[in-house]
Amino acid sequence: MTTFKHILVAILIMLISGLITYYLKPNNPIIMVFLFLIVVFFIFNLIIRKSLSFKNYFTNQYNLFTTKVWHQKSYDIPKDLMFEKIIEVINSSDFKLVETNKEKLEILAISTITFKSWGENLYISFETNGNETIMKFCSATLFQIYSWGKNEKNYDNLLNDIENSLIV
Amino acid sequence: MPIIVNLDVMLAKRKMKLKELSEKVGVSTVNLSILKQGKVKAIRFSTLNAICLTLKCQPGDILEYVK
Repeated sequence: MTTFKHILVAILIMLISGLITYYLKPNNPIIMVFLFLIVVFFIFNLIIRKSLSFKNYFTNQYNLFTTKVWHQKSYDIPKDLMFEKIIEVINSSDFKLVETNKEKLEILAISTITFKSWGENLYISFETNGNETIMKFCSATLFQIYSWGKNEKNYDNLLNDIENSLIV
Repeated sequence: MPIIVNLDVMLAKRKMKLKELSEKVGVSTVNLSILKQGKVKAIRFSTLNAICLTLKCQPGDILEYVK
């Protein structure tokens, strides 16, 4: 099902880019303005991504330019301790720890931009439910309308790192 | 879980702080705190060895099975 969805999106992208190049000529001002706006928007997102203050902007359901993937996982470890633990795990993972808020118990980690990925913001928050700590993960892409599954893969890797770190 | 970790008892007997043990054993204080609460998934023999060496005790002094 996921492969079918990916193929469908790839066909759509090819179709749209084909139609654009057919109807709009290279020196057309509309294309230039459009490209300029894309670059400006990308740089804007790149600048504001490193702050927890813009969490709502990236994770908002009405922001159509980012893909959000939500997960949650619970552990029977107090949330203060789990908060410290996750910081330790992130520091030894592929993610880069950007900002932490000890009062609100929030963490922001980012993945680097590569040829394969536009980059990803990972927001982690902690809640208590009885004796358990519920960790809420929100992975938001920096500049990507559709996710090809890299977020899921990164989340699985991080979860594996957390599980492994509980072997002392 | 019927396995109880008595690390806090041994620390009190040796009058040692968790931070001091962490420095001597080479395991982070966060990991030792989680171990102290018995919330770890597993403990390595190397870690157990280092803790016993530092606290001058037996593994049975730290881990206890309760029915």
